[in-house]
Amino acid sequence: MKPAPFEYHAPTTIAEAVDLLARHGDEAKPLAGGQSLVPMLALRLARFEHLVDLNRVDELRGVARTNGTLRVGAMTTQATVEHDGDVARDVPLLAMATPLIGHFQIRNRGTVGGSLAHADPASEYPAVALALDARFDVASSSGTREVPAQEFFEGTWQTALGADELLVAVRFPVWEGRCGFACDEVARRHGDFALAGAIAAVELDGSSNVTRAGIALFGMGPAPVRATDAEQALVGTHPASDDDLRELGALAVRDTAPVDDVHASASYRRRVGEYLAGKTLRDAIRRAEEDIP
Amino acid sequence: MIEGTALDVTMTVNGERRRAHVDARKTLADFLREDCALTGTHLGCEHGVCGACTVLVDGAAVRSCLMFAVQADGADVTTIEGIAEPDGELSTVQAAFRDAHGLQCGFCTPGFVVSVTAFLRDNPHPTDAEIREALSGNLCRCTGYQGIIKAVHLAAERVAERNAGAGAGVTA
Amino acid sequence: MTTTTPAHTAGRFVGQSVTRKEDPRLVTGHGRYVDDVTVPGMLHAAFVRSDVARGRITRLDVDAARALDGVHAVLTARELNGRPAGPMVPSMFADGTNGPSAPVRPLAADDVRFVGDPIVLVVAESRYVAEDACALVEVDYEPLTPVVDFERAAADTENLVHPELGSNVATTMATPPDAALDDALANAAHVVTQTFVQHRQTPTPMETRGVVADWNAHAGELRVWMSSQNPHEVRRTCARILGITENRVRVMQQDVGGGFGQKYFMPRDEMTVVLTSHLLGRPVKWIEDRRENLLASNHARTDRVTATIGVDGDGRIVGARVDHLEDAGAYANGGTGGTGIFVAMMFPGPYRIPRIGWSTTAVWTNTCGRGAYRGPWMMETVAREQMMDAVARTIGMDPLELRRRNVIGRDELPYATATGMVYDNVSPAETLEQAVALAGYDDFRAEQARARGEGRNLGIGIGLYIEPQTGMGALGVEAANVRVEPDGTVNVFVGSGSHGQSLETTVAQVVAEHLGVHVDDVVVHQGDTEVAPFGGGTGGSRSAPILSSAARQAALDVREKVVAIAAHMMEAAPDDLDVEDGRISVRGTPSRAITLADVARVAYATSDALPPGTQPGLEVVARFKAPPVMYSNACHVCTCNLDVDTGHVTLTRYVVSEDCGVMINPMVVEGQIAGGVVQGIGGTLYEHVVYDDEGNPLTTTFLDYLLPTAVEVPTIEYGHVETPAATPGGHKGMGEGGAIGSVPAVFNAVADALAPFGVQPTRQPLGPSEIVALLDATRD
Repeated sequence: MKPAPFEYHAPTTIAEAVDLLARHGDEAKPLAGGQSLVPMLALRLARFEHLVDLNRVDELRGVARTNGTLRVGAMTTQATVEHDGDVARDVPLLAMATPLIGHFQIRNRGTVGGSLAHADPASEYPAVALALDARFDVASSSGTREVPAQEFFEGTWQTALGADELLVAVRFPVWEGRCGFACDEVARRHGDFALAGAIAAVELDGSSNVTRAGIALFGMGPAPVRATDAEQALVGTHPASDDDLRELGALAVRDTAPVDDVHASASYRRRVGEYLAGKTLRDAIRRAEEDIP
Repeated sequence: MIEGTALDVTMTVNGERRRAHVDARKTLADFLREDCALTGTHLGCEHGVCGACTVLVDGAAVRSCLMFAVQADGADVTTIEGIAEPDGELSTVQAAFRDAHGLQCGFCTPGFVVSVTAFLRDNPHPTDAEIREALSGNLCRCTGYQGIIKAVHLAAERVAERNAGAGAGVTA
Repeated sequence: MTTTTPAHTAGRFVGQSVTRKEDPRLVTGHGRYVDDVTVPGMLHAAFVRSDVARGRITRLDVDAARALDGVHAVLTARELNGRPAGPMVPSMFADGTNGPSAPVRPLAADDVRFVGDPIVLVVAESRYVAEDACALVEVDYEPLTPVVDFERAAADTENLVHPELGSNVATTMATPPDAALDDALANAAHVVTQTFVQHRQTPTPMETRGVVADWNAHAGELRVWMSSQNPHEVRRTCARILGITENRVRVMQQDVGGGFGQKYFMPRDEMTVVLTSHLLGRPVKWIEDRRENLLASNHARTDRVTATIGVDGDGRIVGARVDHLEDAGAYANGGTGGTGIFVAMMFPGPYRIPRIGWSTTAVWTNTCGRGAYRGPWMMETVAREQMMDAVARTIGMDPLELRRRNVIGRDELPYATATGMVYDNVSPAETLEQAVALAGYDDFRAEQARARGEGRNLGIGIGLYIEPQTGMGALGVEAANVRVEPDGTVNVFVGSGSHGQSLETTVAQVVAEHLGVHVDDVVVHQGDTEVAPFGGGTGGSRSAPILSSAARQAALDVREKVVAIAAHMMEAAPDDLDVEDGRISVRGTPSRAITLADVARVAYATSDALPPGTQPGLEVVARFKAPPVMYSNACHVCTCNLDVDTGHVTLTRYVVSEDCGVMINPMVVEGQIAGGVVQGIGGTLYEHVVYDDEGNPLTTTFLDYLLPTAVEVPTIEYGHVETPAATPGGHKGMGEGGAIGSVPAVFNAVADALAPFGVQPTRQPLGPSEIVALLDATRD
């Protein structure tokens, strides 16, 4: 299973990279970690005349905290994120989601930006970004723009990135105060793509009522889903019983459209999605109450 | 800027400088097997799942079927052939695989040995659950993983014993 | 934990877990697999394969492919199909005695019969270029309605997979009506009928198939390197299809990365590559990629059994019926791939079943052909063991108790089953008791009841079976050539095709033990037909019983000669001599000793000093003919934890009590069991080859065909019972068993966890989606 021929480019700056994308348009593809792209090239499911290797563009790497935001460079590897103390402290959801991605060998090359730009419906990072209202810094030869997460994921392997655009960094808001987070998924085997998964972020006030919530589902449709109805129902309340949580879970999946495939039926995904939504909410609330990050 | 459909690459492989002119699309795995005649790195799937092709690139365990040789230009690569001592003495991990019957047909073994070498280097005192998780990125069809899991425990114990001995003033 | 009840004491080497001789090269990356072979002038091949399950080829354009720089040749049916000089079938079927076979040709000509059917072979300077050329080949099809559902194939007389055969039924056999059986069932206290379906799987060795074929027209010789389990079969087949003599063919099987049956016979694609080398007069390498391996090598295990078991008021079986259907695919590798007859024959398994009626049918479908896979007939154990639990549940008896009441005891041996198999030297009852004791079966039942009260769902399952090793025809004989070299070290040449079974070590152990040398001084050579005596390869669990017996005999024969020569040299009586670690000494006076090298020197160089009438040399070829059938047996017990919210199954404990007679190397035995068990776990819970209704395969990468990883498998615990075989060494085969008992053990454990919900699963795999659907169905 060998890829078709291509011309290889190894820019060392963002400017060089976007210039290449501008010149070659949709005949060019950025190469980040390669853990998703190269298998597709090997299987000849995709073919590009030009590959723009981003691995030597140092300005795309790095994790930096500025005020209430954690900025993660697009080419920061998943392994780096997994072991980074700043990430663990400032955006716990990223730290929780990362070990669920594949295996450590994959994470050594796989990148945050690559995963987000690839936008596999069953992947974790898009849902984390969506739940936290992250913002995406996008560059092209005509300048830069900012895309909020809600506008970034358009469908299966489809994002708001144009063919000449590059995801440069992701900025995650840092939640402070009495917060709790949870990420959970069901997969056939450890490290596989999720059959269904849920992300929950909650902030509580002094009486343990929820003041803010971010709930997102993945594997439940062509793009990650923000469960805004469930969030609205949750805010101002303190769900205590299993029934409360089940209802919120049902609300979270009500408008999702999961698919049937060889691994699971749509009804299975919906059922488990609902279960996980409730479970991650319960876990997030408990962690907020117990001051566990 | 480095670019082209065929390029010169230079990298260090098992401590030796290697240089070749390769097609941009040639995978690192094929470069090692063909241009370096290091056939210990095996191709079990060529789509990044089985792990038989695992090598160390700048110390990190990666799937060499998912990298192009040109991407490893300037890198320090270690393959299975570079794990044992130059005089042939097996590494602790290799000896443990042998002693714990962690291989049968041997095809997946290079990928496991390299992955486990990196894993134990970074996690010298793993629990059983951590070992299983670390092994989950490599597939084996012969052993049912039983001997492999034992081998990792054994290797970790032996390294710990050696270090404890060294700590107690005994030359390691 | 390992518990052993040995029937004999371990020897110096036999019975010991000797470290493997294969390991030094394999752990350092110095194995020699087929893709590691390069031959000067070698070209690389790639196939263009059909992406339609059934259709007429209306247009085939290879011009652009031929014109691509770096392409040496592009071959179609026109160039290749007329070239085979003999049938492209396993040698044992080459005289047509196995009944109608699928018509196998190198490449698809006018029509294609499964997705993956090879149409074009491109030969180029590299695999990269060959694949580029494949992408330039244009094929147009007129699609025809494919036969995909094996349960409907027989009745489909309109769409024929192989029109030239006239029917989609490949074979069918049945016992005649049996009034006594009908009576027994009619009068039974309970009769349970259930249909079980096992799904399509594929052996998936970590090394895909591959071959390097090198025809040298000037020398008139063919050299073949191949990832194979059976080099002599490859040699015979190559000679037949090229129309040359076997002594002009040399096959070299070196290290092989697993086979599990897939590489036992010579597959069609490899034959096509050999024919291509012959045509082009150039060495050609073809390495199968994983996608091809998953969709076009061989599939297995698509079986349906409808079983009926009748029991009396005490739960004793009074009669049974088994009706078996198997999917042979389009081009079964090995006749119909068919083992239907064994499914019927072995259905009684380890139980007393006084009367049984059976039928077995194999059908063609427009899918990848069925081939051998570790215990190809194992549907008998799957269906029988799952039936035992179903019967137990119906009559309100614990599945263990039902088995206890029906299992054949040692005092009943030899035991003739109603299907004509005669069991001897087996211990199903003993392994059943050992396994359930190790698993703590009664404690588990108590814990299960407690857990249920807490809302947790645990299950326990048993898989009890008897495994036949056939010694029929060429499969019943093995040879070993033991040769002492002048320096006293030993070379052994055998006709096996070890691909993970550690034969370089176990055969060395047997020879060392019986010849009287140290195992380190024995080197075992296999796989090269130039030096290996004719053999049956490695598969069918035959190596321990048959090959070891031959090696043992050859070693004993050499020892006898060594002792005779040494006695003459030392002027001692042969009966007074001991041979150990290559030293021949007089018993009682150990200082009176000579070495094997001393003896060898006389045997080879100073033959005047030999005893009168003794031939020079120190080399023996011995052959062992096995009894037609032998049996080993085991019991698997598995426990699980079922999460009813997600359908996720966690296997918590796994116990195997096995009896393979005298173990040569316990570490190797346990390793073989473990590999088989995990294949069975994969087969029950994770692995599934899926076709859509149009015959398109949906599981063509490792992202979709899911093999278990280290996280999914429990720690396997072993118990050993040792009932020696009726072979000289007492060894029995056991390579397949792990994959046989595991499927029902896991299935029954999950079914046990589901039982309180009123769910009776009958189909596999039991993935989370399937389990949740079963639970949901009971709620509707």
